Amino acid sequence: MNLKAKKLVEYMAMLVIWLGLVLLFGLMSHNFLSERTFVTLANRIPALTVVAAGMTLVLIIGGIDLSVGSVLGLCGAVVGLALVNFHLPFWAAILLGLGVGLGAGTLNGLVSVGFGIPSFIVSLGMLEIARGLAYLTTNSQTKYIGGAVEGLSTPVAGLAVSPAFLIAVLVVVAGQVVLSRTVFGRYLIAIGTNEQAVRLAGINPKPVKIAVFALLGLLTGLGGVFYTSRLGSSDPNAGVGLELSAIAAVVIGGTSLMGGRGSVVNTFFGVLIIATLEAGLAQVGASEPTKRVITGVVIVGAVILDAWRHHLTGKKFMLLKQLFSRPPSSKSTP
Amino acid sequence: MNPMKKTLFSNSVAGLALALSLGSLAVLNGGCNKSQNTADNKSAPAKPKVALVMKSLANEFFSTMAEGAKQHQAANAASYDLVVNGIKNETDLAEQVNLVEQMIAQQVNAIVIAPADSKALVTVLKHAKEAGILVVNIDNKLDADVLKQAGITVPFVGPDNRAGARKVGEALAKQLQAGDKVAIIEGIPTAFNGQQRRLGFEDAMKAAGVNIVSVQSGRWEMEKANNVASAMLNEHADLKAILCANDNMALGAVSAIQAADKTGKVLVVGFDNISALRPLLDKGQVVATADQHGDRLAVFGIEAALKILKGEAPPADQTTAVDVVTK
Repeated sequence: MNLKAKKLVEYMAMLVIWLGLVLLFGLMSHNFLSERTFVTLANRIPALTVVAAGMTLVLIIGGIDLSVGSVLGLCGAVVGLALVNFHLPFWAAILLGLGVGLGAGTLNGLVSVGFGIPSFIVSLGMLEIARGLAYLTTNSQTKYIGGAVEGLSTPVAGLAVSPAFLIAVLVVVAGQVVLSRTVFGRYLIAIGTNEQAVRLAGINPKPVKIAVFALLGLLTGLGGVFYTSRLGSSDPNAGVGLELSAIAAVVIGGTSLMGGRGSVVNTFFGVLIIATLEAGLAQVGASEPTKRVITGVVIVGAVILDAWRHHLTGKKFMLLKQLFSRPPSSKSTP
Repeated sequence: MNPMKKTLFSNSVAGLALALSLGSLAVLNGGCNKSQNTADNKSAPAKPKVALVMKSLANEFFSTMAEGAKQHQAANAASYDLVVNGIKNETDLAEQVNLVEQMIAQQVNAIVIAPADSKALVTVLKHAKEAGILVVNIDNKLDADVLKQAGITVPFVGPDNRAGARKVGEALAKQLQAGDKVAIIEGIPTAFNGQQRRLGFEDAMKAAGVNIVSVQSGRWEMEKANNVASAMLNEHADLKAILCANDNMALGAVSAIQAADKTGKVLVVGFDNISALRPLLDKGQVVATADQHGDRLAVFGIEAALKILKGEAPPADQTTAVDVVTK
């Protein structure tokens, strides 16, 4: 089986899992299988989707970023501040929000790569810093913004989905193309598999790694903009625990926490699974503790399934081979 | 009190080592002054030191409360000193317990506390009472049974959440008809004030003959409530109203209703009267909310504590006002 077909099979497997979940909730609830449900679903996931897409790349290089939830909160707070207190135009507020995200991500990358500190620790620090700044800048108050930002999350006429969703899908597609079709993407997988080998091959991995953290920061800023626009308000508590949902989505999508393997498209399915689970359980009316237990079981179950699948197909071995061949010739891999 | 120590103590994210060394410092300091301070307590000190221990200061409601207390102290600087502390998030019980212990070690005269949990804080508050410190409970009422088991009484100064929620529910019921379907988004199910608000909503709806078709938790958060409300709107197409146990969740419900294109068809009520809700009240997207005078709540507690310290008031529960706010 060639690589392309293999990828397709993986996508199909994720799709089947998601459809199974949808069907299950369809059977358990009255109105789950309705257009409304899917529109709601599509319009609630953009923020998590773009963050998880960026997180996929960070996990692929063997890093991690725990600060995304806080940074998302900070970016949302900055957007709210810019619009409500400084009366900046919409585009300027958005640019400011994205800039803050990019800055936080770049700082994460610079410090962890520059000083050789595990990104786990650096981003843990950033988690506190960004949340603190979000509270400081907003005075811990929710700001109601209203119409000015809601456009991004209001369904496009005749299309049922919001611009935010469309942008998020574009990010996923672009992320996958970058990962599997560009030299940069190849470097990411190589760094995650064996950084030492990359260095010995004469490639400096540092700028690449910093760029990946910066990219995640930028996408987190975008997520903050989406979040703010969906709620029509900026909430300094936005995104608490989002890092865990993002990491869960990425891992459900089969990306290895050890680095070297992953897919942005599968991460998107991971996001869908998590969001569907949450929406479905709420629609069925499950109690709060039950929701948490079931969500936990699904996360671990999905990863066990994935590990088992990779064990069977010997994917690790394939990847090694793939690494030492140039992208075009990888098609000839047996 | 040494001002440097004060800032260090209020820094809730200080490292473990720092906390430990400070803790031992405080204990040492406490040990030295013990005899002197107990004497002070008995003769009602000229300038008592009151510690306000809050829940999450990241929540606008509690930061307003703390701000109100600070202003009150600034206006009455001659009559008492105030130390304000809060925890990082509402569920971090351990941190709140630590704060109370630090306050005991600092030998304050009174602790005014908004407990993060109605039961888990009782033990440490008992230690405080044993150390001769007056404890006044505000906001979230301590569990009566647990207090009895611990053998202590703690006066509660605060609003009757159930009655307040009932009033809000009644304001909503005026716009509903018997048999209409409504849903409730409650707070964290283990919080006493959240339970009381849910009960108050239920009282009002039952009295009006309205059908509650779903009760789910939004964990006090906007985004969680938004998701829950979306699901409720999907499941019950003929839903007439969503009752939210706080205003943050009401904001989330309003955006869910907008996204479902049901603005005006589904009514919303909240609780707390935060400033972000004002525009929605004006536009009629939120029918009513309850104002429990958050900026005064801590002050009520502090005033009660000062009176009890002076021996003016008996240590009994006091109910503060909750007003319904509509357009």
